[in-house]
Amino acid sequence: MDGLTEMLKGTLEGCVLQIIGSEQTYGYAITRRLNELGFTDVVEGTVYTILVRLEKNGLVEVTKRPSGQGPPRKFYALNDAGRDELTTFWAKWDYVAARIDKLREGGT
Amino acid sequence: MNLWQRMTGSDLTREWTAFEARAAALPADHRAAWQQIKLHLTASHSDFTGRNLLPIADGALGLLEETAADGQSVREVLGDDIAGFCAALAGGEGAPSYRDRWRDQLNRNVARKLNRLGG
Repeated sequence: MDGLTEMLKGTLEGCVLQIIGSEQTYGYAITRRLNELGFTDVVEGTVYTILVRLEKNGLVEVTKRPSGQGPPRKFYALNDAGRDELTTFWAKWDYVAARIDKLREGGT
Repeated sequence: MNLWQRMTGSDLTREWTAFEARAAALPADHRAAWQQIKLHLTASHSDFTGRNLLPIADGALGLLEETAADGQSVREVLGDDIAGFCAALAGGEGAPSYRDRWRDQLNRNVARKLNRLGG
């Protein structure tokens, strides 16, 4: 779906954490995964800025591996702080999603 | 960084020359994107010396190199919002710009004058 950028802000970081949490991976593969999920607006630059932030906040372990062509690729894996952050993200998500569903159903 | 480098910025010139050499090896559209990125970064997110931009520019150039090697187009990589990309990068680094410094300075001066009036 197009035009989701605004709505995704703030949740995309959690999505990237989740993807890294399930397997050690690199920027391009993360972007592809998000595109496959239907987030077609997401480009590699967006993911790159998130990865820079995650690295700076000490939530990921980074290893460089040679790629077939070009410069070595950076692979990302969650560390303990990253796993904690991911748990917090899903807790926040559940909270927001539950409230918004409630609002939509006309509850109080 | 020694005093001479701090005063003249000679180390910066050397770093940027190295960046340009790397950029020259990129395909044309990636090279054009690099020009855009430099423009946005230096116009909006540079401190007085521009030293804060070195790691950011290095990373952005690395991204262009990686994606060029993968055969991705610049549009696939950066979309159509290079300014937004630069803002997110520089913001992620928490890099204060010269505007922040001016704003701080102005706020301090106003606060001081107000205090004087009040006292």
